Amino acid sequence: MVDLEKLKTAARETVSRDDVKYLIGWRQGTYGFRVSPHFVKEPEEAEKLIFSPLCTNNLATYLVLTERLPLPRGEQPDSRKVALMVKGCDSRAVVQQLIEQGIKRESVLIIGCPCEGVIDLKKVEEKFPHLPGPAQARWSNGNIVFHLPDGDKEVPKGEVLAAKCLSCRYPNPVMTDLMLWEEVQTRGNDEYDDITELEAKSPQERWLFWEDKFSSCIRCYSCRNVCPMCYCEDCVLDRLNPAWVFRSNNISENTAFHLARAFHLAGRCIECGECERVCPVGIPLMKLNRKLAKEVKEKYEYIPGLDPESKPLQSSYRPDDKEDFIL
Amino acid sequence: MNNKPKIGVYVCHCGINIAKTVDVNTVTEFASHLPNVKVARNYSYMCSDPGQLLIREDIKNEGLNRVVVASCSPRMHELTFRKTLAEAGLNPYYLEMANIREQCSWVHEEGERATGKAKKLVAAAVSKVRLLEPLQEKEVDVEPATLIIGGGIAGIQAALDIANAGFKVYLVEKTPSVGGRMSQLDKTFPTLDCSACILTPKMVDVASHPNIELFTYSQVEEVSGFVGNFQVKVRKKARYVDVDKCTGCGACAQECRLSGRIPSEFDVGMGKRAAIYLPFPQAVPAKYTIDSQRCLFLTRGKCGKSPKCVDACAAGAINFEQKDEIAEFKVGAIIVATGFDVFDASRKPEYGYNDYVNVITSLELERLVSASGPTGGSVMIGTGEDASVPREIAFIKCVGSRDKSVGNEYCSRVCCMYTAKLAHLVEEKIPGANVRVYYMDVRAFGKGFEEFYDRVRREGIRYIRGNPSEIFKRGDKLVIKVENTLTSTPMEDEVDLVVLGVGLEPRKDAREIIDLLRLSQSADRFFLEAHPKLAPVDTATDGVFLAGCAQGPKDIPDTVAQAKGAASSALVLLSSGRVKVQAQISFVNEATCRGCGFCVEICPYGAIELVTVNRMGHQVSVARVNEALCKGCGACAAGCLSGSVQQKSFMDRQILPQIAVLGGMR
Repeated sequence: MVDLEKLKTAARETVSRDDVKYLIGWRQGTYGFRVSPHFVKEPEEAEKLIFSPLCTNNLATYLVLTERLPLPRGEQPDSRKVALMVKGCDSRAVVQQLIEQGIKRESVLIIGCPCEGVIDLKKVEEKFPHLPGPAQARWSNGNIVFHLPDGDKEVPKGEVLAAKCLSCRYPNPVMTDLMLWEEVQTRGNDEYDDITELEAKSPQERWLFWEDKFSSCIRCYSCRNVCPMCYCEDCVLDRLNPAWVFRSNNISENTAFHLARAFHLAGRCIECGECERVCPVGIPLMKLNRKLAKEVKEKYEYIPGLDPESKPLQSSYRPDDKEDFIL
Repeated sequence: MNNKPKIGVYVCHCGINIAKTVDVNTVTEFASHLPNVKVARNYSYMCSDPGQLLIREDIKNEGLNRVVVASCSPRMHELTFRKTLAEAGLNPYYLEMANIREQCSWVHEEGERATGKAKKLVAAAVSKVRLLEPLQEKEVDVEPATLIIGGGIAGIQAALDIANAGFKVYLVEKTPSVGGRMSQLDKTFPTLDCSACILTPKMVDVASHPNIELFTYSQVEEVSGFVGNFQVKVRKKARYVDVDKCTGCGACAQECRLSGRIPSEFDVGMGKRAAIYLPFPQAVPAKYTIDSQRCLFLTRGKCGKSPKCVDACAAGAINFEQKDEIAEFKVGAIIVATGFDVFDASRKPEYGYNDYVNVITSLELERLVSASGPTGGSVMIGTGEDASVPREIAFIKCVGSRDKSVGNEYCSRVCCMYTAKLAHLVEEKIPGANVRVYYMDVRAFGKGFEEFYDRVRREGIRYIRGNPSEIFKRGDKLVIKVENTLTSTPMEDEVDLVVLGVGLEPRKDAREIIDLLRLSQSADRFFLEAHPKLAPVDTATDGVFLAGCAQGPKDIPDTVAQAKGAASSALVLLSSGRVKVQAQISFVNEATCRGCGFCVEICPYGAIELVTVNRMGHQVSVARVNEALCKGCGACAAGCLSGSVQQKSFMDRQILPQIAVLGGMR
């Protein structure tokens, strides 16, 4: 069970430590069911921390987005730890970052929040439109209770949970330094049912499907920027010489962008669904990511983001790898 | 120097190989209008002397500084044309090949569209060649030594040839003695020489040759490095016998409590040995080995009051404290001569190999007819008082060869002749025996083979065309159910002994060698040669050569021939003493590298490492390529997410314009 007091105490203790730079958690947003990331530097700031079904954001992104500004000669970089609150899915992002040496184990403190599933904001806003101010929610016996101005509303989980949570295999953080409360039961056995419909289509139909979706892309790059696995300092998709993707917004360049993005995540995507969540035009990016994740799992028996000691997919060659898909 | 590209395009007819499908004149005309193209010509054979002369003359007279040759695969002639450029004083890496043969004329029929594709390929090559940069080839010294894996006749022959040429050889054999499969054979076809008599002198030579270091009962554990400079680690397994003291007298084996109770590997289970053993009388080295899996003292820690072998050994050679040793050395070349396994006859249950004592394999019969075999050369069924001499004997050929049902489509090449030889020997050893051979085809293709097959038939051995469907027991006899396919008559044949002519298979432990040396397998699972015709002893890994049945089934003369070929290939390397290292290697842009280490993990040559550098006051790790180790395979460049690893001559900015042309964007 979520214990907010325990969370705040742990946060206060953590940021009081000399070797901790700050803690990243969630806090109430400015309107509706929105939640903001909260950077806690001083113990008293811990008071604002929350953990609720609204805490969808994967904060692991902030671990690798830290800018490394040039240092004056003789000055040492701040090597203190960053404390991070993680749900199950978020923790896999941290593990994958460790596998890829994006972060160092000693520079991060992982605070685990076993999670009963977070909401899909679109579903919730459809149910409760036009809220005057910020609103909260909590888990309650398999349901989610929304605190609205006109009283509490209890809604069955199935109606409002994000798709990724309905079939979640890893509700509990897979690696932590501190687990805040007891682990919750695993909900689903993910069979990748959500992509079977797309898989059954002919190549032409699939092409039409994606052409339709990609043509609406405005190339805001939100999907890339929010992704905890996309953190190259110099992204190939931004480069002008050579330009793999031109900046013009048309179906050809949009497709090139999305294919490159998806392929760069093959064997690395931990399926937190952030890209799809932030997409302003509703491109079902997770269908693409999960198709690759499924292939990677079935063909190479590889699941990213579980064991920090494991090797990246590209080098996990085994002599008995299936070869039936090679022409 | 004026670096403005002046490109020469040379379109090859390749006789009619290209010209028949692709209109080379149209392609040449098209190429002459491409940007920066100064000259475009076509010629019947660009790779011929006059063809190359055309290029050299144009470089001199027209001042060309880039060359595109539109002909065959670069695997075929890239080196040829690089030399042409170098001879004309141009950097050899200013060359780009457009493959309009393998990837165009050979795979297409229709002329106009094939010509269109050839145009695109040429245009793509032109767009890339403009962006190529000159590269320098470096050379490194070759370690004047060779590692040979496998001490059968192939390994022995290769070792002797190289050692006689004056170079060091490390010969590594897994079992306690060299000799391999050939030492198990009795006579050899078609001349009927005694196998041991011709092999043993070579085995002795190998052991005594000053240039050969012999590791028996040893295994190669690790190979790193590259052609000319391989680092090798060999595990010398503990024999528990001090080889310097052991005289090979055999008193220990006689006294061993398990004497005559362990199936002998050498006699394929037909004979028995002790826990301390010499695999066979002529074994080299003639030193005993303790089977650590069987020895009572080593498995249970106790062998009576004291181990009998220790008491029996006058030389005091037995040492139960012995440990595995690791030997490390450097070699310039490696020869893989790991041989074969015979087909496991129990995989054809219809032949009852597991059920009946009088169904045996050809290798088992080979031990029975051998004078040094468990029966002293007499062909007997069963053991002890039940032993009897068979009168009616049938051979079945192609057991586990040419048989899709067991996954072996290939012909094992030796079974026809060894069956004829064994039939002859059995007929000779058992007067009045009736011998017949059930066959699908008789393939007597070698020197003296057909004559031998004729001779055997004249001696009264019957050849019956038919592939038996079943063998079962009736009374004392075995019944072979078969259809004579020449007369289309189903028949049953009652015999005393069935000999299964088992085929040759890749060794079960072949995977170890594949992983060690990054070899490939062909469809039959034997090791794959670099080219089936023109490079039959080379492999895709430079400096690694194949000899003998590891590459595919062969008889002894072919094995020896290939071993000599492999030896001479290795000697070419060793005696030249220098090897060129790849110039088209990869390099890292350390400014954009994020140090994820994917390339380090991907690199099959261990050529990349992560190093810590100072980036504006921050210590960050980035990848760095060891130029001597990089083989230019490009795996790192393909795996790099940020595009920070690039391969020379295949940089993103060089191949993207090429792709754009192919895609019709420019």
